[in-house]
Amino acid sequence: MLYHYLDHKRKESSAQLHATYLVSGKFVDNGQTSHKVSVVREDQLEDFKAKMSLVVSVHVYSVQRALLRDSGPLYAVDYDAVKDNLKNCSRYSAIHCASAVPMSSVELQQAREVQQAPTPEPENKKTGMNGDTSPVLKSSAKPPKGIMGMFANKSAPKSQDNTKEMKPEKKEDIDAPKSKPVAKANPVANFFGTQTSKKPEKPVKKEEAPQSSSRAAQQQHERSKPEEKQETVAPVEPQKDTKKDSRSKTKRLEDSDGEEEKMETKKRRRIKKPEPDSSDEDVIPDSPQPVVTREPSSPSPKKEVEPDRHSHPSSSEMKIRKRRRVMKSHTFVDGDGCMVTEKGYVSESYSESEDDFKPSKQASRDPIKAKPSSSKEDEKKTQKKASANSNKGAKQASIMGFFQKK
Amino acid sequence: MTTLTRQDLNFGQVVADILCEFLEVAIHLILYVREVYPSGIFQKRKKYNVPVQMSCHPELNQYIQDTLHCIKPLIEKNDAEKVVVVIMDKEHHPVERFVFEISQPPLLSISSDTLLSHVEQLLRAFILKISVCDAVLNSNPPGCSFTVLVHTRDAATRNMEKVQVIKDFPWIVADEQEVHMQEPRLIPLKTMTSDIVKMQLYVEERAQKT
Repeated sequence: MLYHYLDHKRKESSAQLHATYLVSGKFVDNGQTSHKVSVVREDQLEDFKAKMSLVVSVHVYSVQRALLRDSGPLYAVDYDAVKDNLKNCSRYSAIHCASAVPMSSVELQQAREVQQAPTPEPENKKTGMNGDTSPVLKSSAKPPKGIMGMFANKSAPKSQDNTKEMKPEKKEDIDAPKSKPVAKANPVANFFGTQTSKKPEKPVKKEEAPQSSSRAAQQQHERSKPEEKQETVAPVEPQKDTKKDSRSKTKRLEDSDGEEEKMETKKRRRIKKPEPDSSDEDVIPDSPQPVVTREPSSPSPKKEVEPDRHSHPSSSEMKIRKRRRVMKSHTFVDGDGCMVTEKGYVSESYSESEDDFKPSKQASRDPIKAKPSSSKEDEKKTQKKASANSNKGAKQASIMGFFQKK
Repeated sequence: MTTLTRQDLNFGQVVADILCEFLEVAIHLILYVREVYPSGIFQKRKKYNVPVQMSCHPELNQYIQDTLHCIKPLIEKNDAEKVVVVIMDKEHHPVERFVFEISQPPLLSISSDTLLSHVEQLLRAFILKISVCDAVLNSNPPGCSFTVLVHTRDAATRNMEKVQVIKDFPWIVADEQEVHMQEPRLIPLKTMTSDIVKMQLYVEERAQKT
């Protein structure tokens, strides 16, 4: 419908209109196939389609008079409509099925039992991000039951200890509601269907995130860990990023690839620990790593860390103190007269019973020049990776202190 | 149903806080959308549950915060009639003026529990409208700067000149050339009416910008 409108208006050439498209299809990344759904601008559309191995659907997501600078307004524009229709997802949808009624609890139980039997087999064969075939089949067979299918799937990971199975399940959960509206040709209905189905999916994903992190300690395979952490990163991020980010999902994973090293150290750390950490995403415990002397300031912060830690056991005997990494920003003028803003992860210790912060300086340099530069964002990302390394280096000395607190 | 008068300063402070928070977000967003500063200094943040662009340049942020800190007492006492964000070209002639007309009812009545969420919804609509306002505006010439003007009722400014709310941050009476624009075109953007505040946003644009 939007497509016809756009076509008509462009033929009339009355006003210049810009369109944003929703593209979904299969994408192969490092040999792994995933189902990718993404909102792209018109000028990026052809490039994006070329990168996909199979394009399942392309439709007009939104039409604007002015070129959108970022994806913020796309989310903001129907925030209220989505919130109002949260429990009535198919209100604006053209997809109707008279026999699509919510299952009773008995039927739900039966469906779960049926799901449990076939799911262990296929998932043991696959690794990583593979859930694309089953959701695509699901979408073509029963489009209106996509949401109920998602809820039925949700219970399956609860009963299983293997997080590898759970990961593809989550992928299915993410893909199922998205592929459901894609199957139909009506773009407006797809738009609303996608929107409203994502909302119930959000609480599901968030629920699964704490479960996944609690199972993390039991995980024996290291390889699936970084991918799992990326999955937990996704739901805990603000809604706007997962909902309508014009970057693709895999690109977000690529951004967190830089932190894969950090995550690997984190999971090594977790295997040693007897109990899992809390499900808070920001809690990243310190891990033993060889010292990387990239920054001249790292030895001195390390020294600061040690006396800081020693003072902790006395005060926190009754409280559980944990360390977490928080992004902090520090501004000053350097020797060249340029304003420099340091953005880095600072390891802070905090107590669960109180919010009592005692930051220990492990911030690394991340200069943001006052003058504009095109490579500024690239600089930021590379500096963040460097900061990850130097942070790991500075934490090594304090590992025993961390244990002593317990 | 609670009825409060203007003398109830606590509630006035609440309204002023809400408005100043909103104005801070709106000013940042205007600077982003109208490309007064390069988009590299902005980062995505969340306000009213939607993504907004805020600058991370500390001096710019401090300037905006100080400005609004000085405006807050005027809003509390309902002395501020308009808050105007003026975008000027290199010669300091205004090219665009984003005018926020604010008025508060003398009797504030809290008629529902969902008042604040309703106000949030309305402010979200303002944010959205600012984000897409470049559909209705012409693009600005390069090298623009901005300033904030406050139109007050009566003689409130006399107090402002006497008492510096923030040290070394004086307010001066605006020049005639900053206030008046040649050949303005009026483009209304958004209006909101709620129990605690009424606000209107429109843009005055110079017909020929370059």
